[in-house]
Amino acid sequence: MIELDHVSKHYGRIAAVDDLSLRVEKGEIFGFIGPNGAGKTTTIRMIGGILKPSTGRIRINGVDMQQNPTAAKRSIGFIPDRPYLYEKLSGSEFLRFIADLYQVDRRSADARAQELLAMFTLTDWAHELIESYSHGMKQRLVMAAALLHDPAIVVVDEPLVGLDPLGIKLVKGLFRKLAAGGVTMFVSTHTLPVAEDICHRIGIINRGRLIATGSPADLKQELKVVDADLEQIFLRLTRDA
Amino acid sequence: MSARNAFSRSGRGGTGTRLAVFGLLGLIFWVGILAVSLKVLGYFKSVEQLGTLLSFKLLSMLFITLLSLLVFSSILTHLAKLFLSRDLSLVHALPVTSRRIYLARWMESTFDSAWMVVVYTLPVFTAFGIVFKGGVLYYLTTLSAMASLAVVASGLSALVVMAAVVLVPASRMRNIFVLLGLVVFVLLFLFFRLLRPERLVDPEVFSTVLLYLSALKTPDLPFLPSTWAYDSLRAALTGAPGEALFNTALCWSFAMFIVFTSVAVADWIYFRGMSKAQAGARRTFRPRSAAVRRSRLLSQPVSAFLVKELKSFFRDQTQWSQLFLLGALVLIYVFNFKALPLDKAPINTLYLQNLLSFLNMGLAAFVLIAVTGRFGFPAVSSENEAFWLVQAAPISIRQFLWIKFCIYVFPLLLLTEILIVVTNVFLNVTPFMMVLSTVSVLLMVPGVIGIGVGLGAAYPNFRAENPAQVVTSFGGLMFMVLSALFVGLFILLEAGPVYTLFMADLNRRPLVFLEWLWVGASFFLAGALCLVAMIVPMCRGARSLADTHS
Repeated sequence: MIELDHVSKHYGRIAAVDDLSLRVEKGEIFGFIGPNGAGKTTTIRMIGGILKPSTGRIRINGVDMQQNPTAAKRSIGFIPDRPYLYEKLSGSEFLRFIADLYQVDRRSADARAQELLAMFTLTDWAHELIESYSHGMKQRLVMAAALLHDPAIVVVDEPLVGLDPLGIKLVKGLFRKLAAGGVTMFVSTHTLPVAEDICHRIGIINRGRLIATGSPADLKQELKVVDADLEQIFLRLTRDA
Repeated sequence: MSARNAFSRSGRGGTGTRLAVFGLLGLIFWVGILAVSLKVLGYFKSVEQLGTLLSFKLLSMLFITLLSLLVFSSILTHLAKLFLSRDLSLVHALPVTSRRIYLARWMESTFDSAWMVVVYTLPVFTAFGIVFKGGVLYYLTTLSAMASLAVVASGLSALVVMAAVVLVPASRMRNIFVLLGLVVFVLLFLFFRLLRPERLVDPEVFSTVLLYLSALKTPDLPFLPSTWAYDSLRAALTGAPGEALFNTALCWSFAMFIVFTSVAVADWIYFRGMSKAQAGARRTFRPRSAAVRRSRLLSQPVSAFLVKELKSFFRDQTQWSQLFLLGALVLIYVFNFKALPLDKAPINTLYLQNLLSFLNMGLAAFVLIAVTGRFGFPAVSSENEAFWLVQAAPISIRQFLWIKFCIYVFPLLLLTEILIVVTNVFLNVTPFMMVLSTVSVLLMVPGVIGIGVGLGAAYPNFRAENPAQVVTSFGGLMFMVLSALFVGLFILLEAGPVYTLFMADLNRRPLVFLEWLWVGASFFLAGALCLVAMIVPMCRGARSLADTHS
């Protein structure tokens, strides 16, 4: 479970995130959408423990991120929008690095790494240096690394950028499977059809503020637009806000 | 336009000031070379019979060296400009022929590879002109000769590079050439040092060397461009303008021939080589097995970072040159102590040996500072944009920083202890000084590493392309200053009690109680200073890194 309680992040006089409160339950896929510069990545990075909120509290499975960041981060698998990695390590070495960093049992870590490399079709590239990987391959490797320690929560920023159609299908299926297994998914994306397809609930952020939240059906009912798709709802809400 | 934009923005952030400072340093260096050249040539000219012969021999060797340097420099620059530059994909996608692209890049590369070599050999040629009273023709011939050599070297290098890239990946070739060049430079430097040039201050040795130099035969290769350039300058200096002009024409005609040949070859194979260079290189050597034995003595996060640092370091071929330089530095440092003429010193040898040993601690510490500046200070910045992995991981910034500290403190402690112990053996110091030196280094090293890693965390640069960029910053300067102050203070605190103890031992006099108290207090303060130097910057660095990057 993820809880954000009146979370704000200020950069000088600019409020990148302004008084954000929301709760994502266990096994739920929560889609976080908004225009460019709305505060999505800032929110994602605060949940992942990379940024400290200026005010408010973030709790990960009941653990306060500011009070006990190490314990909170242990439950999270973080997938950033840009997969900057250690270029001089191979794919398998990078996974081994992550396993040690998250203190995954060494005996099971290697087997799990092999399994994930196969799932993300990276087995043939496992011993090649990451500097020779394409963007899509790096993205898949980061996903594999995020799942290596079987996190209770997965936080993803733009999961589909750089993925081919097969990769997109794989990721959508994987997210559904993880959620069905009780993993909490917090997904930020610009790809609205995908958000509409896989997310149980959507949160729309604009200029740092959460302007709407609910399932796609709830949002349509709230706006009284039964035939509209998520894109139209999004455009309407962000234009009006 | 890029150069203009870069310069027009240089006023921001003190870059203009930095340019002025480096420009001034360059000018001082140029004038220094001129002064030394005038001194040497002036002395040669004063030597009867041999003087002029020696001077022209030097000129001939200079031209061969100049051509070699230009060729080497051109090879590296051509590899970068013609095949590895990031904008090549964009440039080749434009409706411009590859011949034009090649010519434009070749001209840019020729200038880049040659300007520094030409500028810093000019003072030597100027010195020749002053000493041998060369006229306007001499100076014009000099400029012409250097320009034509630069064009010849660049053209020849381009031909070599274009042919080689078709067979060997460009990036790998560049690394090989850089490493080879460094190996040759270091070996030459080591060879020069091992010859013990300080013996030349002995007049008897010096006159023998002069006779030897005069008998040296430089390669007599009439078809080398450097020979034509040398002949043109010699003719201009000795009042033979016809010969000077003939050799100049020879240089330029050959230069033009090479240029046209390289363009013709470029039409044929440049684009093929460029396409090949754009493909990513796969690993030459694959690991034998996926499972690597990790140490059970270390915790998993420590083991993770240690393995990551080692692999990243040794797989970055640009780092090998740093290791090689470090090895050469250690060899020369140790040799300097072996070559010390202690038996010729007017001071008591035992006293001198132990004094030098004490000062050696400071010297070794300064070597440590230099090495820490290169490896320890950029430790945090070396995470680059992958630093998010550390931020998202279940370890605190403080833990991460201490892991970095531990990774660097042990190898640097080993290096410094080796320096101290080996040099002390050469100095034949007393057991007391040996123990004092080794224990002092044991205390100083963590202090210097703590300052380095701590300040590196307080002033990180995650966008730096290489560690040298990280240390040439305000944070790097602070590190140098603070660590030098720390070492200086430590040496000062130890100097008094060590002198007291040593003299008491030498004079076989026991110390009184107050003296023992003073000695104890000084050593305690020195130890406390080391502890503070280690802990305070690390804590400050951790706090600063957590605050500014969160």
